[in-house]
Amino acid sequence: MSADPVPADPDVGSALNLDAFNRALIESVGVGIAIVECDGLKVLFQNKRFEQLFGSPANDITLDQLMQVPDLSGLEPGAVETCEISVKQKRRPVTLAAHFSVHEDDGRHVYMVEMHNITKVKELEYMIESYAKMVEKNERALRREKERAERLLLNIMPRTVYEELKTFGVTTPQRFESASVLMLDFVDFTEMAVSKDPLALISELNDIFTGFDRIVEQFGCERLKTIGDAYVAVSGIPEATPDHAQNIARTALLFRRFIRQRNATREEKWRCRIGIASGPMIGSIVGIQKYVYDIFGPAMDLAARMEQHAEPMEILLPEATADHIRGEFRLEPVAAREVKGFGTLDLFKLVGGDEELGVTLI
Amino acid sequence: MARGTIFERYGGFATAGKIVMAFYDRILDSDITGPYFDDVDMPRLMDHQTKFVASVMGGPASYTDEMLEQLHRRLNVTNEAFDEMARLFRETLEEFAMAEEDVETLAREINSRRDVIVSAD
Repeated sequence: MSADPVPADPDVGSALNLDAFNRALIESVGVGIAIVECDGLKVLFQNKRFEQLFGSPANDITLDQLMQVPDLSGLEPGAVETCEISVKQKRRPVTLAAHFSVHEDDGRHVYMVEMHNITKVKELEYMIESYAKMVEKNERALRREKERAERLLLNIMPRTVYEELKTFGVTTPQRFESASVLMLDFVDFTEMAVSKDPLALISELNDIFTGFDRIVEQFGCERLKTIGDAYVAVSGIPEATPDHAQNIARTALLFRRFIRQRNATREEKWRCRIGIASGPMIGSIVGIQKYVYDIFGPAMDLAARMEQHAEPMEILLPEATADHIRGEFRLEPVAAREVKGFGTLDLFKLVGGDEELGVTLI
Repeated sequence: MARGTIFERYGGFATAGKIVMAFYDRILDSDITGPYFDDVDMPRLMDHQTKFVASVMGGPASYTDEMLEQLHRRLNVTNEAFDEMARLFRETLEEFAMAEEDVETLAREINSRRDVIVSAD
């Protein structure tokens, strides 16, 4: 059995090994390393990686011949100055993060320069930025589309019903104990000169209904629907309010005033009939493929009858609705009439009240 | 019939990103396609590559033929360079173990854009 060889001087042996190991480490590391004189920037040492990044410089090369060196005059020992530089290897753009630090070596000051190749990191950054912008753009388009769809749906159903539909996918029919409905129709609509020109007609109706929508909104009512030249608005649906009859009466008066003011300045003279009625109603979305929010109940039919019985530019309402608003609005009784489906009813004309409202049109 | 786009089925942006990087390396290394990118700055090239790769994979970017034509008009891309690009793209996809039929689908997508990308003999 032989003994293991023992170095004559173990300290010397390990020091030599450590030096060789350090050198091997510096050469094999994936970071470009160079030692540079502070005075004159002469390159004293560079590892293989550094050479690869900048080509193989001849002797006596200075660092500023290889790259744009930042101002290192204020660099304190222990501190690190970092900058990014771009070099081109063949046709490939390479981005390097350069770290500079000051060290003392045998009484002279040197810079230790480390070059980290961060090209892939930069490429990834650009790619993520590009992708993020793309996603943002798509999201904006999606949001716009959603808003457009929402606006369309809000045109055909009240917001609370829309929210219910959005959250649960279905809506439940709601019963409203007391609400009011207004129906407006134009007199001799088909005979009007403007009806011969479809584009002009739509433009006029669009203008008038937009004005109506603003009035409806002003009094917390809802436009339920328009059917041809007819406009239907409700109050007390889907949010119950004790003032539903007053709000619908104000709406009716402002509708009429809006038409009068409009007629005063336009060639085309519009005349409307307005019927109002109050009572319990059921509100629900009807249909699955084509959503229509509609309300049902005798008051709907009664409002339609009132509108039919009204004279041009007259607002007609039954006694039950008149009871809600008596004292606040000027009403004129008209002779009792036979109303189809409802028997003989005492009816009233809504003649005023709007002058005292102090509300402005549009 | 597989569900979703190729972009979605192969892991979305995480995979598309790796494909972009690998494809980018290949086209820069090629002596046929590389020279086209000599004067293109990196952010612009990465932007182009990301959108292009995501687009052909059915991802969120959509490059219209008009945009592609505009981007390549001044590069004078030859049929040879286009073929090389298509070959390298196919190689990249194969490296990512993409199913043969999906590689074929993407190769067709690339080829369908030949007329708007190639502008030189």
